[in-house]
Amino acid sequence: MKIFIKFDFTRICTKVIDEKLVALNIKYRMLNFGEIEFLEDVPADKMEAFDTILEDYGIEKIENQKVILVQKIKDTIIDMVMNADDTMNVKSSVYLSEKLGHSYGYLANVFSEVTYTSIENFIILQRIEHAKSLMINTELSLTEIAFRLQYSSVAHLSTQFKNTTGITPTTFQRIIAKRRELNTNKS
Amino acid sequence: MRENYTYVVLADDDEDDRLFFTEAFEELKMQTKVDLYKDGVDLMNALNQSDSKLPNILFLDLNMPMKSGIECLKEIKSNPRFKDIAIAIYSTSASEEDIEDTFVSGANVYIKKPNDFNILKKILSDVVTMNWQYQTSGLNRDNFLLRL
Amino acid sequence: MKFKSIYNSERILKIIFGLSLFVVLVMGGMSYQLIKKLSKSFEDVQHTYQIHIELEKLLSALKDAESGKRAFIISQDSTFLEPLLSSQSELESSLERLKLLTKNNPAQQKNIAELKIKIDKNLEIFEKTLGLALANKTDSPEFISSFKEGRQTMNSVRFKIMDMTTHESEELGIRKAKSSKTLSNAPMLIYYALIFSLLILLLTYLQISKNLRILKEKNELLETFKESTTQSEIISKHGNWIWYIEDNTFEYSDNLYRLLGEEPQSFPATLENFMGFVHPDDLDKLTEQVNKMMENEDLPFIHYRIIQKNGSIKHFKAYGKVLIDSDGHKKLLGTTADITDEIENYRLIEERNLELERNNKELASFNYVASHDLQEPLRKIQTFISRLEDKEKANLSDNGKLYITRIKSSSARMRSLIDDLLQFSRTNKSEEAFEDSNINILLETAKHDLAEIISDKRARISSDSIPSMKVIPFQIKQLFLNLISNSLKYSRENVAPVITISYSQTQASDLPKIKFSKHDLYHTISIKDNGIGFDQEYAEKIFILFNRLHNKNEYSGTGIGLSICKKIVENHNGYITAEGKLDQGSVFTIYLPITT
Repeated sequence: MKIFIKFDFTRICTKVIDEKLVALNIKYRMLNFGEIEFLEDVPADKMEAFDTILEDYGIEKIENQKVILVQKIKDTIIDMVMNADDTMNVKSSVYLSEKLGHSYGYLANVFSEVTYTSIENFIILQRIEHAKSLMINTELSLTEIAFRLQYSSVAHLSTQFKNTTGITPTTFQRIIAKRRELNTNKS
Repeated sequence: MRENYTYVVLADDDEDDRLFFTEAFEELKMQTKVDLYKDGVDLMNALNQSDSKLPNILFLDLNMPMKSGIECLKEIKSNPRFKDIAIAIYSTSASEEDIEDTFVSGANVYIKKPNDFNILKKILSDVVTMNWQYQTSGLNRDNFLLRL
Repeated sequence: MKFKSIYNSERILKIIFGLSLFVVLVMGGMSYQLIKKLSKSFEDVQHTYQIHIELEKLLSALKDAESGKRAFIISQDSTFLEPLLSSQSELESSLERLKLLTKNNPAQQKNIAELKIKIDKNLEIFEKTLGLALANKTDSPEFISSFKEGRQTMNSVRFKIMDMTTHESEELGIRKAKSSKTLSNAPMLIYYALIFSLLILLLTYLQISKNLRILKEKNELLETFKESTTQSEIISKHGNWIWYIEDNTFEYSDNLYRLLGEEPQSFPATLENFMGFVHPDDLDKLTEQVNKMMENEDLPFIHYRIIQKNGSIKHFKAYGKVLIDSDGHKKLLGTTADITDEIENYRLIEERNLELERNNKELASFNYVASHDLQEPLRKIQTFISRLEDKEKANLSDNGKLYITRIKSSSARMRSLIDDLLQFSRTNKSEEAFEDSNINILLETAKHDLAEIISDKRARISSDSIPSMKVIPFQIKQLFLNLISNSLKYSRENVAPVITISYSQTQASDLPKIKFSKHDLYHTISIKDNGIGFDQEYAEKIFILFNRLHNKNEYSGTGIGLSICKKIVENHNGYITAEGKLDQGSVFTIYLPITT
């Protein structure tokens, strides 16, 4: 038998971190977008133990301020893409600088400095990734997906999809379908 | 803590291509470490060592003596230990159907070997960046398909 | 159809026959009635005349007696009394006969009774006057009064008789009037009925003669059929046979004998005789099939070989079907065909096909390997050149730099040739690759691939909405790509390219140069540009591999692009045409069949 599942990374991570911090008896507060505020000084050995435990889960502690900001930008973008309806008519640059309290120029600079890619590219990538998951996990047609992700047309979505991935949405769907078929046959 | 670089491996029987590959990464000045294998058998022997360090991205030439890129790809995909390796097919042009087949078999990237060194650099940089995005931004690795 | 009409008219004939039988019967009945009536009225007349005669007789007897009496009285000669005596008895018998004749007529009976009294009285007076005359008392007043009285009674008798005569005549008149009414209508009626039945007869005759004519035609047709069957048997090398299941006898057509290499009907048509010709290797198989045929009274398609007396082996195919005729007799109609040529041809075609396939495969793999393997060293040359340019340019003389540029352009040209050749060799038809595709998206993708040149040349491309089709998607994309890039490449200097892609549908009959088509309707996509165009006389040539209309220094074509287009369109069972006007532009039109 085979099933397909979807993850909510934020929830999984929040849950894991909560369990581990409670186990280590560290008092903390969870802020938005993966920020944790320790409410007391944490001894070095406890901190190290926390780091090791998190590493097992693929969770990494980020210390650099710029890296933190980039992470915030990313999370904001992901949130923006996932909930496209709420942010309708607002330009992403305006949205980001309002939400994060920095000028867009500054955000863009920091972002490309840390990630070697631009915010625009990241937004496109996220939108395409979201389109991919909608294509795979829902019965929505390309037209509906394009509408949901606020593309002006299917052609626009297809063009951007092709630009980003080098393949067309239809080819993508076909490949994923064939992969599933292949895996089903194997098991 | 995780190393802060991308570990890249190439298996290609063509000496010149291996040269271009390393030179490109040298010039790119990205945080990468590159290892080379001259054919599929060598590659699989190295990977199958239980203590082997697994690459983040594995570049596979398709036409290799003894063990072809496709054979390597299938072997890797059937071993759960290698599930986190992004596979990039690195080959001379093939037909659309063949390209699609490699994706279906589990490849994440298909690269047609370019005929310009600067384009090669751009492509390799794109692949590493994109892979990095998948690694760091919680994207679904199953949806990682890229053709360059 | 016509036979059916005969069956129908047969029914009509039956109805007509029944009808006319009925009419004749009615006519007979009517005539009988009529004749009966006629004879009745004849009898009536005769009867009346008899009565008349009897009455006349009566009167004349009386008159005889009277005149005899008078003569005696005058002459006193007793011989005159003789008639008197005879008339008396005659009177009696006359009266008796009258009574008998009028026994059905009470009024006449009464008259007769009255008459009798009068006659009797008359006779009495007669006696009296006669007695007186005998006594010679003729002068006595008694005699005279009696004589007078005699005359009176005689008159009253006469009157009575006259009365009776008129009565009888009246009676006859009434009867005549009565019967003449029916009698006068009768001949007319009979005449009409006669005409009617004649008409029916005529109709029947017409119908029968018509049926006969049809039957004759059918017969002739059957004769022709038979003749043409015999002919077609010979031409198509097959023979017919009939197995009469109930009698277990066979009938072979002439050509079946010929197929066996024998003279027609040269041996009795039996199963054993036929089996004698069958190839020994196929005998068991065929015997089994024939046994099955006997059992199931059916014969599916069977194949076997026979050997003719001259030793040549022939392949036969046979098939049979049971037919039950109108009398309920079962027979199996069989056809046996000589398919030796067919099999021989099939084998030949098979061989040729294999050869062709082998050749094609070799060619394709040669093409593929050549272009694919050539890519590899070329790619390296190009990459090394790019390395040289990047790293060593400063160390090169101006000549060296020029050479590098020349090497670059030559290798670029070689690359495009190899790429196009590879593309050409890969443009194959495979049924699995066909899928329902949004053509508009394929067009967009092609335009997208060309985005750079399009914006460089400031080209304007407009297109109609094109319906979805079942195609090989990447080939159709390639088709658009090649045609648009062709239009862009051969644009006029200093004129921004305007490319118009339009869609319509064309009837197969309106297709240029195409006479027979499996499909009725064709998707028609035309790509029109305002480029340099070409002379219409080259319209066919441009689709031929490696054919170029321009010097390669002027325009950078390989001469493969349009050949690929043609191959793609042909893979889709379509047609592509080109129309050009020098320095005005060209139109490429693609016709793809609309499949349902």
